[in-house]
Amino acid sequence: MSIYLDNAATTRPSPAATAQAIALLEDGFYNPSALYREGFAAHKRLEEARRAVLSHLAPAGGYGLVFTSCGSEADNLAIFSAGHGNIVVSGGEHAAVYSAAEELARRGREVRFAALRADGRVDEADLLSKVDGETALVSVIHVGNETGAVNDIAALARAVKAKNPRARFHSDGVQAFGKIPFALASPVDLYTVSAHKIGGVRGAAALAFRKGTPLHPIIFGGGQEGGLRSGTENTFAAVHFAAAAGEACGRFHENYAHVRALNACMRARLNGELFTVLSGDEASPYILSVATRLRGEVLMHMCDDAGLIVGTGSACSSKSRVSRVILACGVAPALAEGVLRLSFSPANTEDECARAAVILNRCAAELAERMR
Amino acid sequence: MKQVVIVRYCEIHLKGKNRGYFEKVFLENLEKALRGIRHEIHRPSGRYIVDGFDEGCAEEIAARLSKVFGTHSVSVAEQVPADMEEIYAAVLRIAPAEGTFKVQTNRADKHFPLDSMQMNAAVGGRLLSDRPQLRVDVRAPQHVLSVDIREDGTALVFSSLIKGAGGMPVGTAGKGMLLLSGGIDSPVAGYMIAKRGMVLEGVHFHSYPYTNMQAREKVEELARILAGYTGGMRLHVVSVTHIQEEIHRRCPDEMMITLLRRFMMRIAERIGNEAGAQCIVTGESLGQVASQTVEGMTSSNAVVERFPVLRPLVGFDKTEIIERARAIGTYETSVLPFEDCCTVFLPKHPLIRPDLAKVEKAEAQLDVEALIAEALAGAETVTFGG
Repeated sequence: MSIYLDNAATTRPSPAATAQAIALLEDGFYNPSALYREGFAAHKRLEEARRAVLSHLAPAGGYGLVFTSCGSEADNLAIFSAGHGNIVVSGGEHAAVYSAAEELARRGREVRFAALRADGRVDEADLLSKVDGETALVSVIHVGNETGAVNDIAALARAVKAKNPRARFHSDGVQAFGKIPFALASPVDLYTVSAHKIGGVRGAAALAFRKGTPLHPIIFGGGQEGGLRSGTENTFAAVHFAAAAGEACGRFHENYAHVRALNACMRARLNGELFTVLSGDEASPYILSVATRLRGEVLMHMCDDAGLIVGTGSACSSKSRVSRVILACGVAPALAEGVLRLSFSPANTEDECARAAVILNRCAAELAERMR
Repeated sequence: MKQVVIVRYCEIHLKGKNRGYFEKVFLENLEKALRGIRHEIHRPSGRYIVDGFDEGCAEEIAARLSKVFGTHSVSVAEQVPADMEEIYAAVLRIAPAEGTFKVQTNRADKHFPLDSMQMNAAVGGRLLSDRPQLRVDVRAPQHVLSVDIREDGTALVFSSLIKGAGGMPVGTAGKGMLLLSGGIDSPVAGYMIAKRGMVLEGVHFHSYPYTNMQAREKVEELARILAGYTGGMRLHVVSVTHIQEEIHRRCPDEMMITLLRRFMMRIAERIGNEAGAQCIVTGESLGQVASQTVEGMTSSNAVVERFPVLRPLVGFDKTEIIERARAIGTYETSVLPFEDCCTVFLPKHPLIRPDLAKVEKAEAQLDVEALIAEALAGAETVTFGG
């Protein structure tokens, strides 16, 4: 079986979480909105799952959590809930935030994009210079999905609120939750998490919100999720999410140390003449972004054939061969075409990483020779 | 009330002594198009009648048959006993409430008491008094109500006329090897040639790992769409990665496309020989891109030993090709943004007017036969429909 180093795209679902969820699917399939005993039991399971996910995010009491179908939906719910005024987002946002902001701009809203630093973090001075008394919402990704760059969102949120206490602060924490140390605290109003990046399944994600933060639904219907997200609840995925989050957060420290060792192993073994590491030293150990002067997708296919699965910044389409985020970090276009994203999970081993580095070095050298 | 579908065909009546053969192939193609639907096809004279299908299937049958090459037009008709009252009741069911109309009777059964003209007048007259909002217009009516009195004691009454795909039945004009890229042009070229009755086999060249699996999937989707018109299609998928690498290594950069096309032609002809084909079909249009010049065509024709190379789009503008691609339903797939092999190792300035002697000299640096043998050995074949 191939070595899988594209865990930032999705992770293998946790078998223990799957076992729990399957049991629910078989015996507890009832509609949680139904009033009979069985429906109410399903409702209780859903609320347990909600409390469980939230307990790994924030201290009890201050925050609520709305389940959504995916991280993109949670991001959209946050962005489209922005009140009157301008919106400030970083240039390093995931497309779910970035494109939602662009859509608001098309609808006539003033949207300001903050610059990135070379390591992928947002330029704090530039961000703050764009926040003014009219700013309704600021959104800064917690861990950049392409670079692994970690933004200190608590500090950024405090600085934003010092300039404009009415501005809401949202962060997409999809690549952070369960992976890097963090606890949701008061300056951050809205925070997106997703199940399938930490051993959950697709179909479950959530937006955590500081109580009192106004939210406007984007899906209307039966009024589920406190009216914030209509649609029959996906109890299977939510219960799976809670179990997977429990597993990831329960082993947080040993996972973190292990993945950090994997990351260091990879950095040490990659051929420095062929690969330039883009991720900064302070980046999340789960994501290692590297660049070559070769076409990234071709290298990815070669690695795939050699038994190593890695990610590319973007697909080999004639329209966009380079990533917006990578360019925003100031990477030269010739390198930006050759970006690979290596992303780890606690299930990866050092032996796998060592073998992966051999494959990467060999394929890159071979491709460089073939393209010469 | 019983529904039938009437299919009229195009140029088959021009085929003199070969007419029987054309009709037989056409009938086979009609049968193929209706696979999965219970039906019977009859051929009274000069057309086909489809009946024996389940209620509610008439529209689907008409839609499928209208796409079969050789079909001139298709109508969904009501079949009733050839009796004035029954015929008029059917006319009432299909007649519009307002607008202009004319009645058009065709009387194959000369024993029917009224002749065609009398019938037109009788049915039209009654309709005018029953539907006062209708007016007769024999020159340019909005609705034509057709009554077809047949020799078997029944009549067909219909107003719909669905335009067919036209052309000749596929299978009556030999077999061609279509060079199918993921672009807009080659599927249109294939459609046009298939419309003249030719069976097609596609040849697709890819350069994995320089191109991706999505690009190949897109070409397979194009073949699937074409197969819907041609009653099935085989697609040969051939890797030219090593060929491109060898050209890149040993030949001048600007000759990449010129040389690659010569390899494609040779490979297509060899697969075609095995498949019993007689020609190569390409989507080239004169001057559209740097390689599609008459010199470029000369250079690629020069390596084809026996087959003619048909280029049905040679005189078309891009906008005309796009219009046709939209009409046949391939455009949306063709514009999906995946790269095909022509963009790999793409020279900054491809040769616009390759000189055959120079091309041949550059190619002499390559072991052409070994490269072709390697490409053919790795070829895969996928079949769509049919």
